[in-house]
Amino acid sequence: MKNVGKFMQEYGVLVALIVFFIINVITRDNFLTAENLRNLISQNAYVGIIAIGMTLVIMTAGIDLSVGSLVALCGALAVLTLNKQAAGEAAPNTAIFMAALASVGIGSVAGALNGIAIAFGRVAPFVVTLAGLAGFRSLALVLGDGGEIRSQVTEFQDFGFGGMAVPGLSMQSGGPLLIYWSTFAFIGVALLASFLLNKTRFGRYVIAVGANERAAKYSAINIQMVRVAAYTLLGGLVGLAAVLNAARMNSVGTGSVGLYYELDAIAAVVIGGTSLKGGKGRIWGTVVGVVLLTMISNMMTAYRIDTDWQGLVRGAVILIAVLLQRSGKDGK
Amino acid sequence: MLKNLMTLAAGAAILGLTVGCQPGTDVGNGTPADDERFVVGVSIPAADHGWTAGVKWWADEAKKNYPNIDWIIEDAKSPDEQITDLENLRSQNVDALVILATESAPLTPMAKQLHDAGILIINVDRGFTEPAADVFIEGDNAAFGRKSAEYMAAKLNGTGKIVVLEGIPSTVNTARVEAAAKVFAQYPGIEIVAQDSGMWNRETSEKVMQNILVANSEIDAIWASDDDMALGVENALRAAGRRDGVWILGGAGMKDIVKRVMDGDPLYPADITYPPSMIAVGIHEAASILRAGRANALKYIPKHIVLDVDLVTPDNAADYYFPESVY
Repeated sequence: MKNVGKFMQEYGVLVALIVFFIINVITRDNFLTAENLRNLISQNAYVGIIAIGMTLVIMTAGIDLSVGSLVALCGALAVLTLNKQAAGEAAPNTAIFMAALASVGIGSVAGALNGIAIAFGRVAPFVVTLAGLAGFRSLALVLGDGGEIRSQVTEFQDFGFGGMAVPGLSMQSGGPLLIYWSTFAFIGVALLASFLLNKTRFGRYVIAVGANERAAKYSAINIQMVRVAAYTLLGGLVGLAAVLNAARMNSVGTGSVGLYYELDAIAAVVIGGTSLKGGKGRIWGTVVGVVLLTMISNMMTAYRIDTDWQGLVRGAVILIAVLLQRSGKDGK
Repeated sequence: MLKNLMTLAAGAAILGLTVGCQPGTDVGNGTPADDERFVVGVSIPAADHGWTAGVKWWADEAKKNYPNIDWIIEDAKSPDEQITDLENLRSQNVDALVILATESAPLTPMAKQLHDAGILIINVDRGFTEPAADVFIEGDNAAFGRKSAEYMAAKLNGTGKIVVLEGIPSTVNTARVEAAAKVFAQYPGIEIVAQDSGMWNRETSEKVMQNILVANSEIDAIWASDDDMALGVENALRAAGRRDGVWILGGAGMKDIVKRVMDGDPLYPADITYPPSMIAVGIHEAASILRAGRANALKYIPKHIVLDVDLVTPDNAADYYFPESVY
């Protein structure tokens, strides 16, 4: 019994995913198609990329509430850069590259500012990034005149829909089944972050700072720089997610894009078994959390659950997934 | 030391912001010689999707027609914030308020108070639950649902498999969906194979539509009820390689969609308007009532104005195309 509890604490989220998967396979005719499985890993790639960065930040005992608004700001700058480059007769690919650079650049800068205010200004992460939540969205609205910024470059959306065909698999329509670039970005970022966390000194520092700040300080770890680095990394990833999202939408709705991304990202991290107290976390758990959340939305559409009830279902699943992992002792 | 410096810098920044805002907020002064100068507040929801962004744009456009009135436009993310906005506007001695409520019920008591205090109240789109407005202007949501569904049924010759995408749960959405459902129910050949909410949001609609496409190999048309949602649906169709032989009916009259109707895009044979410019009608009413003298004007100005919604087809699309609008 004790072993079961311990097992659930460690792998509960994976068990939940498998249980849901099996329920779907049994009850739904169209679940086990290549196209649907592709959708499951690709639909939340943007939130997923952000959730990976959020995992690192939360492991330092921090939090970042500004990511959703930052998606709007980065996306706005990306599309403005894209249009300006295209107007200056840059090649479409160059324009897209510059847009991505602008997005990741401004994201990193904003993340670094968050980190500096937190680490050196000694203001609580919740407060600093709450200010960012308000401020970044506002800047995006200013850039977009309150509305939408549309891309003038058709290749941008082609890029958003682009990907690599899986040999031998096709969609219902008969077309080739593409794995989108955004999905590759999600997987790549997850692998890199796993490596960073488990195999490098920076990863050990992140764990040390989150687990016990004082002990980390006495071990001569530059805790301020570790914090700034974590927020900067997250900011850059927000920029990456923002430009991929903008490409797919071929535009940026400055008032609507990225709304509640911070909550979705934090939900995925927590479902994945990373502790909000810091010091303990795992990237694979976050990835499973993202896929689990996507699967829930996917199921609710399939079962035609009334919209008014969908939030309750989502909330219950989040709570149950976390409770499963706490079924041992106090899951610190 | 560093901390002190940062505090100082933050203080300076806040001071700079406050001072910078002064000319914008201090609009009550006007020209003292001009005693005809009115102050009118416009309180609208924040631009959280394309349509509300359109409202903001049209409000800014409409006020330009009345340079002799001091306009104060405030947008709010929630009913709480909007109530605060209204209190602040009251303290600036407004003569009239044009209100597009974030939600009807919570704003009603405040609107009533302001009305009792003698302020002219023009209510737009989402009606108060008790009489609190001098004039109420709304789009006809039932007609939105009915006309769009009738068009869809007619174009499908009464038979076909359709998807119904709803907006954010609200009275506006309910009125539209119920009216449409009534029409579809008259056609036994029309089968609603899936129904879910796209939350008036492009990204959500794309995901929901992807899931629907996987489960339904045959779909003839999508009743998307909003142009942002229509674009999300289009993304899903494109990703699934299923843009042929299917069409989308959005709604609200986004310029990009109206343009494509105008250009004869087979994916968008029509659109249905629900123009955010209705805020401009409210602004126009407020200005003309104040100018004509309130007591006089209210004798003949209708108390309830229902704006019809129009079906946009390639023939008339040019009349509904405003390329300079944000929406």
